Amino acid sequence: MDVHLELESGGCFALFGASGSGKSTVLSCIAGIEQPDDGFVRWDGLSFYPPPLPLHLRGVGYLTQDPHLFPHLTVEQNIAFGLAAARSRAESEWLERLRDSLGLADIWKAAASQISGGQARRAGVARMLARRPPLVLLDEPFNGLDRQLRRELLEALEVWRREIGFSMIVVDHESEILERLCSSVAVIAQGRIVQQGSWAAVRAAPIDRVLDNLLRPL
Amino acid sequence: MRSKLARAAAVLFALALLYPLSGLFTQIRSWRWDADVSGPSLASIRVSLGLTSLAMLIVVVLGTPAAVYIARRGVHERLWWQAVFLLSILLPPLALGILLSITFGRVTNTPAAFVGTQVYVSIGYYVLGAVAAFDGVPTILEKHAALLGQPPTAVFWRVTFPLARLGLAVALSVAWVRALGEFGAVVVTAYYPSGMPVQLWVNLQSFGLPAVMPLLLIFLITALPLPWAVHLLAQRRPHA
Repeated sequence: MDVHLELESGGCFALFGASGSGKSTVLSCIAGIEQPDDGFVRWDGLSFYPPPLPLHLRGVGYLTQDPHLFPHLTVEQNIAFGLAAARSRAESEWLERLRDSLGLADIWKAAASQISGGQARRAGVARMLARRPPLVLLDEPFNGLDRQLRRELLEALEVWRREIGFSMIVVDHESEILERLCSSVAVIAQGRIVQQGSWAAVRAAPIDRVLDNLLRPL
Repeated sequence: MRSKLARAAAVLFALALLYPLSGLFTQIRSWRWDADVSGPSLASIRVSLGLTSLAMLIVVVLGTPAAVYIARRGVHERLWWQAVFLLSILLPPLALGILLSITFGRVTNTPAAFVGTQVYVSIGYYVLGAVAAFDGVPTILEKHAALLGQPPTAVFWRVTFPLARLGLAVALSVAWVRALGEFGAVVVTAYYPSGMPVQLWVNLQSFGLPAVMPLLLIFLITALPLPWAVHLLAQRRPHA
């Protein structure tokens, strides 16, 4: 894998490519779920690698298709997991805003193991945003959701991004979603960035037929 | 027809397994509980329950971090560790007792030797069971907990332990039964102070079956119900 990305503070970068191209591996290396073989990962003056910075010190929000909620906790406990046990009033109000904006009120006290996949995805977004991370990594978070839910999550992310001001790297294989969230795109193929720039530039001159096919609507 | 035959065979098998318990109801001479029997028997109950509890505390304190470490190792290192703990489990109790008495030296026939022997005979069961319990906790959950700002100890107490606790309880219950019932090794390393198994043997040798039955009943009551309940609960809630 050979990837070089630079993201401005508050910016949004899309990683686009075919399945198996290495998009998810890039995010998992930044998050620390996997370790890169070589090179470096730096964010906001912190060196994530080398040496590997412990995950709890990275300040990164990470959401995958499976949000990996903690099954022994309720939805509320999951979302508040990263906050201190004794919450301030401001934090409690923040959680309530997240809860209401993502439609979680009805399942707030439900066990995380008992909710549907779509509800879990929304809870995963709320849990990720609860700590207001400066960098958010999204790995195909809309996969498998119906259009209504996709729209709701997209709108929620756009609203929260404006409010919190986090930087974002998004992975998906659907260009429509990525274009809505990010103005810059890096195209990955076989573990290498093969094209980078604005969506308009990439669409105007796709590097190969595979990319051209991926960019076409169904 | 075939399923009825299979069920009948299963019932017969279950009855055969439960048959030894019928000995509790066998008509024998009146149970004996005079001073010659009750005094040492009550002392053995205190020894067994007290010192086995201490042994279990040592097993948990030493065995849990070991199990956490082993559960997160690669395949080859795990095999090595499993070989070590299997050795402690598979050693014949009498052989283990003889080897421990040589190791303990002057410490034999003391509470320390009693506790040490119980730790040796049971820690392998606990650790291997605890490793299986921790294996059941997906590491991705631990990583997500860390990404939410939790340091390793908080991840363990807030995610790993709650998800593994039922498996840990099963492992500890097996270790408890193993330690409480240990005779072959303890009779060599710690004849004194006598725990329930050794005292049962002494009562049998000295006074016969009537002197054994009261202590046997107490022994079964202290050894069986908790592990039995824990195992049944674990079967009903495997993902608790």
